[in-house]
Amino acid sequence: MQGRGTSTTRVEPDEVLVRASPTGSAGGLRFYLTNEFGLLVLILLFGAVFAVLSGGFLSTFNQFTLWRTAAVNTVIGFAMMTVIVTGGLNLAVGAIGVCAAMMCGWMIQALGVPGPVGIVGALALGATLGFVNGWVVVKSGLHSFIITLATMSIFFGVMVYLTHGESFRNLPPSFAEFGRTRYFGVVSPMLIVALVAGLLLIGLYRFTALGREMLSAGAKPEAAELSGVRVGRVFILCHMLSGLLAGVAALLLVMRNGAAIPSMAGQLGQDWLLPAFLGPVLGGTLLSGGRVSVVGTFLGSALVTMLTSGLLLLRIGEFWVQACLGLVLLLAVLIDVARKRYLAHRRMV
Amino acid sequence: MLAVAAGVTLLAGGVRADDTKAALVPGGPHPYFAAWEQAGKDAVRDFHLSSADYKVPEKWELNAQNQLLESLVSQGYNAFLVFPGDPVGSASTVAELADTGAPVLAIGGCLKDPSMAGFCLGTDVAHSAYLGTQQLIKVMGTGKKRIAHFTGFLVDPNTQLRIDAVKKAAEEAGDEVVQVIADIDAPEPAQEKINAYLAAHANDVDGIVTTAWVPAVVASNALRKIGDKRIKMVAIDHDQVVLQAVKDGFVAGTMLQNPYGQGYIGAFAADKLRNGCTVKADAPWKANALTSHFIDSGTVFVAADKVDTYLEAMQGITKDLLSTFQATYLVCKS
Repeated sequence: MQGRGTSTTRVEPDEVLVRASPTGSAGGLRFYLTNEFGLLVLILLFGAVFAVLSGGFLSTFNQFTLWRTAAVNTVIGFAMMTVIVTGGLNLAVGAIGVCAAMMCGWMIQALGVPGPVGIVGALALGATLGFVNGWVVVKSGLHSFIITLATMSIFFGVMVYLTHGESFRNLPPSFAEFGRTRYFGVVSPMLIVALVAGLLLIGLYRFTALGREMLSAGAKPEAAELSGVRVGRVFILCHMLSGLLAGVAALLLVMRNGAAIPSMAGQLGQDWLLPAFLGPVLGGTLLSGGRVSVVGTFLGSALVTMLTSGLLLLRIGEFWVQACLGLVLLLAVLIDVARKRYLAHRRMV
Repeated sequence: MLAVAAGVTLLAGGVRADDTKAALVPGGPHPYFAAWEQAGKDAVRDFHLSSADYKVPEKWELNAQNQLLESLVSQGYNAFLVFPGDPVGSASTVAELADTGAPVLAIGGCLKDPSMAGFCLGTDVAHSAYLGTQQLIKVMGTGKKRIAHFTGFLVDPNTQLRIDAVKKAAEEAGDEVVQVIADIDAPEPAQEKINAYLAAHANDVDGIVTTAWVPAVVASNALRKIGDKRIKMVAIDHDQVVLQAVKDGFVAGTMLQNPYGQGYIGAFAADKLRNGCTVKADAPWKANALTSHFIDSGTVFVAADKVDTYLEAMQGITKDLLSTFQATYLVCKS
């Protein structure tokens, strides 16, 4: 569903979700029609199914690892979401992430800088590579699909050339400890990082002029331009934000693995593409731009991670997990559509 | 592989019913690891393990392997034989597995020290590449020769070791490695790059050495198509395409590894470690670029005259290794 604001921009579902009143009938209907509510129901439904069918699903070890993985997938999803809002794509999200991770490892291991400085350097490189993407997209006028497809290879190739494919392992012990820390037995600090990133993004899109400009530029660039929005600059900032978030996701993986590894996102960083798309798209972010759902992206990523974990625990067979994942996701989307139609029909909407 | 199993079964003494539930987990789908499935089944039969299951991540991705390993803990597996998806990045996951009390062994490939893996049982990749290149040099004959080297992914540190070893062997013989094509241990890039290279430069090389499974298969097929047998080649592993090319004379020979032995002996060792044995600190460990606790699972060059009996060759290596394994590498209470 799409909410509409009073201005020329569309209203993001997070706003709809926050405004919805569970006591008012119209507000309640709007709440039940959100992607976020549908995803929440599916998460609870599949969680219950997996808990009944698999003894280990609710174990503290499994819950800890599940939400830790979900945290990384969520931030990867955020990195893609911030470019999808422009109506574009960032296929280089994995390559940028790996470059940022390797920068962190290089600064700490080769230059001997403290960990926090390495982290800042990694995030700065992520944002810089995002700037390169955005600048080329804006200046060339080509679709970001083409540009980021090219830069994916360029960034990754240069990284492999400079590092010779070697990992950086001599990182401060606090990095690996961060990845393995458990609060209350199940909560990973990586999940807290993902939630904080999500809250900051909600704040950006809801409460800042820049966030509104990003949404309006993505929804209707020409109209936004006429309204005084510097669309090119805004698009570049969206790509920089994407690069920055890719850097955050990569740093989480560095802490998960205790090392900066060139293969952490697969060949050319392509392994990140599926989680990068699934979270935002399931969550309700429009591929055509102008509409973003931070909460939906989080829930979408959580659902996909939960399905993967549950299917593995059910011993369906590792080679069938992908197929089952696809089927279940299709089913989830169809159920979501049916739910909306049913509710709309009942309310004569 | 049954022949190997039959040969080593007699050596498996002191068996008892056990609750060892082992998982053999490769880095991803790859034909090299297929022998682990039978190795696990044979280990269950011969060493009376509760189970030893071959569990393959659905794709060759470190995160996919990590997720699979984490789910296996929740499924009750209590011993892990892992080909590290990354020699560095898998260490953290291995530590988490070890924290559950399960023995973890790196097989097929090593973790970089320090790690919580008991030891590494695998092929000495640099030595295998070095020996293979020496065999190639021998069959190419005298005079300065030009060698092309087709190998695996650059992000795999073993690839650089193989590149260096091939170069070293060539330089020692006064030959030259004129081309290294890496990042091609997958069908599509291997087909594209090897065929393109040979189409343009077949006359510029005298020999080919391959140090990864898929390039070996693709290059064997390419030489069969070219057909003149002028270019000599030494392959790696035991794909039927490669073995047939060796038989037919298009490939001089292949460097066999021992994946069955890695899985079979690895399961044996993991069970022992679960039942009171410990890793012997002063065992005659070998060292490689990643670890100082390395056990060579064996490699052997097979030419056309031995291609029909290569199983026996590997059986012999597995037998020898297993017969002395406990006494050599483990400390067990009697």
